[in-house]
Amino acid sequence: MSTKDQLSSLKGGFLEQRSNKELIEGILFSLPYLATFSLFLLYPLLKGGYMSLFEWNPFFPSESEFIGVQNYARMMSDGAFWNSLGNTLYFVVLTVPMIVIFSLGLALGVNRDIKGRGVLRAVFFSPYILTVSVAALIWIELYATGYGPINSYLSLTGINPPAWLQSYTWAMPAIAFMTMWWISGFSFVILLSARQSVPEYLYEAAKLDGAGSWRAFRDITLPQMRHAIFFVVIINLVWSFQIFGQPYIMTHGGPGKETETLVMYLYNVAFNQRNFGYAAALGYVLTGILVVVSFANYYLFRGNNE
Amino acid sequence: MSEKTESSYGVTALTEETIRSITIHAVMYGTAFLFLIPYAWMISSSLKTSQEALSPNPSWIPHTITFEWYIRLLTETFIVQWLINTLIIALSTTVLVLVVDSMIAFAITRLDWPGQRYILGIIIASFMVPGFVNIIPLFTLISDLGLINNYLAVVLPFAAGPIGVFLLVQFFKEIPYELQEAAQLDGFSTFRIYLQIILPLSKSVLTALGLFIFVWSWNQFLWPLIVLQQEKAYTLPIGIVTVRNTYTYQPALVMASAMIASVPLFLVFLAVQDKLISAVEMQGVT
Repeated sequence: MSTKDQLSSLKGGFLEQRSNKELIEGILFSLPYLATFSLFLLYPLLKGGYMSLFEWNPFFPSESEFIGVQNYARMMSDGAFWNSLGNTLYFVVLTVPMIVIFSLGLALGVNRDIKGRGVLRAVFFSPYILTVSVAALIWIELYATGYGPINSYLSLTGINPPAWLQSYTWAMPAIAFMTMWWISGFSFVILLSARQSVPEYLYEAAKLDGAGSWRAFRDITLPQMRHAIFFVVIINLVWSFQIFGQPYIMTHGGPGKETETLVMYLYNVAFNQRNFGYAAALGYVLTGILVVVSFANYYLFRGNNE
Repeated sequence: MSEKTESSYGVTALTEETIRSITIHAVMYGTAFLFLIPYAWMISSSLKTSQEALSPNPSWIPHTITFEWYIRLLTETFIVQWLINTLIIALSTTVLVLVVDSMIAFAITRLDWPGQRYILGIIIASFMVPGFVNIIPLFTLISDLGLINNYLAVVLPFAAGPIGVFLLVQFFKEIPYELQEAAQLDGFSTFRIYLQIILPLSKSVLTALGLFIFVWSWNQFLWPLIVLQQEKAYTLPIGIVTVRNTYTYQPALVMASAMIASVPLFLVFLAVQDKLISAVEMQGVT
């Protein structure tokens, strides 16, 4: 808005003659984006809604049968869907708070007077640049029974360790822990940068007022960093809801269907069962869930801070 | 910092401060050490013999170092082809995103025309659409276009990315309009203003964004898994997972494949980590 005003006032008299030319140029410069956007995002988005109303025939689309909202109704009684939804929520609950708190702790630690801050920052950030396959393959070996180091060392202490990724109890927490190592770096960098832009005089003033470090944390650090924390919570929520690679590679959704997540289920429905219509409906519902969760968070945070 | 403490609180405060500082150092470096363990395991396992890699007594420095697994990967699998595929896909995605996003960001911030406000609104709204809602219809589209197993299948759908536009709009806005005015008076065409004024002034943000896109594209998993179905067309992230299924109970070979898939990115990271980190920081600011 302000950009536009600024631009208009600067241009003054030129504006009238130029507007037509700028309209054409504006369209031309936007065209590559708008074209790819329409073809690969907007069109599939609409077509997905359309497909979700059909018993879609992937080989002969024209022979697809219109079934109305039956794909959506089917979800209600589809145990595998509810199972994957439950597993996804469990993963979200395990990871999001843990990642946010852990990366906030790292950020506050690195922000202190500490030697080798640059090295620490690089170390904590580094797993984030790995592809999910590399991270998952490494952790398969770390968790392995028989030769994996985690179980070898636990055995030494006399504990009888579980077969992490084959255990009904431990498979999901094990994936969550690996995920924390893998992606905390992103949140850490954002929180560190937010912490560094909190003006130091606030802390000095608090100190003069006799505030302890806990009060300084509660009354200065947290409120000053709330935008960054909000961003980090949202982005981790969105990522966690879309978890796919880790269970796909590490457990294939097992043991049983204990780690089959929503996106995995959608993938299986589409590419193993070839039920495109139902998969498209699942995608829509998933998006709906995400939008609701994001907005709920937005209002929650706003309510807390204003 | 410590000097000030000393003068105002005396010696006891100083020692308290010292203990505190030692604790923080210990905790932070301890955590950093734990962070590095998975790398150490990957590197050391990839150099172990099959027997040692499966030994119940973990060793961090292999007794006998062997490059057998790297050689087998290079000769028996398509891993070099996967590396080339990944590189081509990541590079072309990066270039395409930078061109397409910077053009529309230019149109939004630098040109005065009625579309700009709506377009920015649409782009912000498209943030809300998570990738997977589209994978089914997008797959049918890509397959109708005959692009299955083609590089373009992994590149084109990501040309229009809202994050890039958002970052560039923020940055372009701050470039003084006087520069543009002066250039216009000198007879610069709009395209020249874009190419010779705005882009060079935005080098830092373009590099950071480009690096981020490169890493992101290199690491993609779900979408390439769907549209790249021939072994020769795989990218590294897909390929190394299939390697593990082919060579069962060869952890050393699997770790060697993970090394090959991650070392190029690590080199990029070491060379330009500040830029990459600032690309992440910028996302937090927007």
